[in-house]
Amino acid sequence: MGLFDKLKGMGGNTLYYPGCLTKFVGKDLEDNYKKIFNKIGIDFIQLKDLEVCCGSPILNAGYKEEAINLARKNFKVFKEHGVKKIITACPSCYYMFDKIYPSLLKDWDINVEHATQVIARAIKEKKINPKNINFDITYHDPCHLGRYSTVYSQPREIISSFGNLKEMKLNKNYSFCCGGGSGVKTNYPKLAKSASKERIKMAKETNADFLTTSCPMCFYHLKENAGDLKVKELSELLLESLEKNGE
Amino acid sequence: MNLSNEIDLGEKILDSQEKQKNFLSIMYSYKDKRDKLISEEEKVLLKAELKKIKEFSIENIISLKKETLKKLGENGVTIIEVKNEIDAEKELRKIIGNEKLIVKSKSNTANEIKLNEMLKDLDLIETDLGDFLIQLCEQDELHPVLPALHLTPQHIVSVIKNKLGVNIEPDPQKIVEFVRNHLREKIFEAKIGITGANFISADGSIIILENEGNISLVSRIPQKHIIISSFDKIVPTREDALKLVKAASVFGTGQDYPMYVNIISGPSKTADIQNKLITGAQGAKQVFLILLDNGREKILNSQFKELLHCINCGACLNFCPVFHQIFGRYGSKTFLGAKGVLYSFFNESKKDSFHNGAFFCTTCKTCKENCPLDIDLSDLIKKLRIELVKAGIEPKPNKEMIENVRKYGNPFGKIEKGKTPDKMYCC
Repeated sequence: MGLFDKLKGMGGNTLYYPGCLTKFVGKDLEDNYKKIFNKIGIDFIQLKDLEVCCGSPILNAGYKEEAINLARKNFKVFKEHGVKKIITACPSCYYMFDKIYPSLLKDWDINVEHATQVIARAIKEKKINPKNINFDITYHDPCHLGRYSTVYSQPREIISSFGNLKEMKLNKNYSFCCGGGSGVKTNYPKLAKSASKERIKMAKETNADFLTTSCPMCFYHLKENAGDLKVKELSELLLESLEKNGE
Repeated sequence: MNLSNEIDLGEKILDSQEKQKNFLSIMYSYKDKRDKLISEEEKVLLKAELKKIKEFSIENIISLKKETLKKLGENGVTIIEVKNEIDAEKELRKIIGNEKLIVKSKSNTANEIKLNEMLKDLDLIETDLGDFLIQLCEQDELHPVLPALHLTPQHIVSVIKNKLGVNIEPDPQKIVEFVRNHLREKIFEAKIGITGANFISADGSIIILENEGNISLVSRIPQKHIIISSFDKIVPTREDALKLVKAASVFGTGQDYPMYVNIISGPSKTADIQNKLITGAQGAKQVFLILLDNGREKILNSQFKELLHCINCGACLNFCPVFHQIFGRYGSKTFLGAKGVLYSFFNESKKDSFHNGAFFCTTCKTCKENCPLDIDLSDLIKKLRIELVKAGIEPKPNKEMIENVRKYGNPFGKIEKGKTPDKMYCC
């Protein structure tokens, strides 16, 4: 089915928006999520080079006008492609579309879900059936998914569907930041690194086999500073578990 | 001061590693202690109630201040409003007169005007144990409620020996006993006592909380009690203030209630002899309230007004990923952390606020979560960045990232197929 035909379809299109970090750095993560969405049976489109940055790093960097411009550009492209719903696995993009775009664009009417919300629901509805991979897994709440968007339960439901969740001492609304966000990773790399080590220490204290998270930024930043602690993005673990079940 | 837009925090981070060992576990423990006192649901309700009090207070601050001045004035308190530290010094010296010895308790507002430096020709003695030790050891304070956490008993006794010529065992109990006796002599000798205030109620009281008992002494034993504070401490009633007292304690350090809450409405008085009113009975004979502005009026009339909701409990620092790595390097001379950064935009300069860490914040909002007043420092920092960028003040990678977005629509710039960008400007 061509794009145009999809456009004519009833409910409008569902867009998978990977976000710049996933698109340009985490191509494997992008593939993971595409595989998972396909397994769930989600009919989605991608806009590749047509979409631009969501504006989150721009807003955090102190450039409000530029962020508004990006939002307008994105909204225009989304409209042109009949997008009625966006799924993203990047918490910053999710927060932008869910909470900031409605305040910047008066006509914004696109629904948005974070990948963990979509996946947790699919597991409940038995559209995918993760098999227990018998690992102790600790979860790092990304700031933009947790405190900014209050999505705490879905990532945990996903983990619990295939592993044993071990909480760190600071979790959910008290999650300790990985240190990489809001430009700090590039503006002050040593500061970002030091903060991530404090978080890694908390993860190690759980004695979990893996540290996982549902944010590409937290993932790369924590992984880079994890030492001998194994860090996997949530999609990697989920796929392993699904493949174990022959799905 | 290095005011170029490149800041290397490497040395500061190395420097902080020793402090982290003592400090982090205590910070974490505050939450455990608090969780035993209130549930998450109670916390949310309490925060909403407190926010209402402070929001109302700041929205109506002009009329509340008038009321406060009137009520306290009727009670016999001399109130002096000062713009900045220069005015503050002038007024303080008038009150101090020829006195040389001054005893002082913790006051963030006094820190703000660098009181110790200002009055260094006089014998100004800190009476909070932590601040006394910091003063003695000539160090910077580490945390608003834990100023001396980084000092070991061994170090403290060696300084006491060097400076005061007294031999004490390196045992916390023994050190406290020594300091108690040492300070009592000073407090009884001094004619001037200086304290801060936690809250000022428009129904005519000044509320000061403490654990050690020194504030009770400093505010009552010397003849003159000088309170250095600011208008943002004003709330409508004593009852409101007491709710905030509890909040400062529970959220700041996970303590149910401070050991002492001083409610001071004016100088001591008596009418016991033939009903003739005598001001100056057994407590202070004169009470002075100095209200410092130092940028607050500007803050009140700006988009950063929420800063004035702060009650200085320090909870914002307890899980701050930046403060935990570099401690006092984050913030201004006035206040630690993001609050200090924001204040310096008003009472120092744009460049100072940049140097103090306007771009250090990861905008993770843990401070908001942990703040009894729900102050969104992350959001205020983002607003500050907008102001700094307008003035051309930002870190170099920030500028590179924006250029990339302008040219290519993404933060990384032009990306060759199959290549990964080397700098992760996100998110």
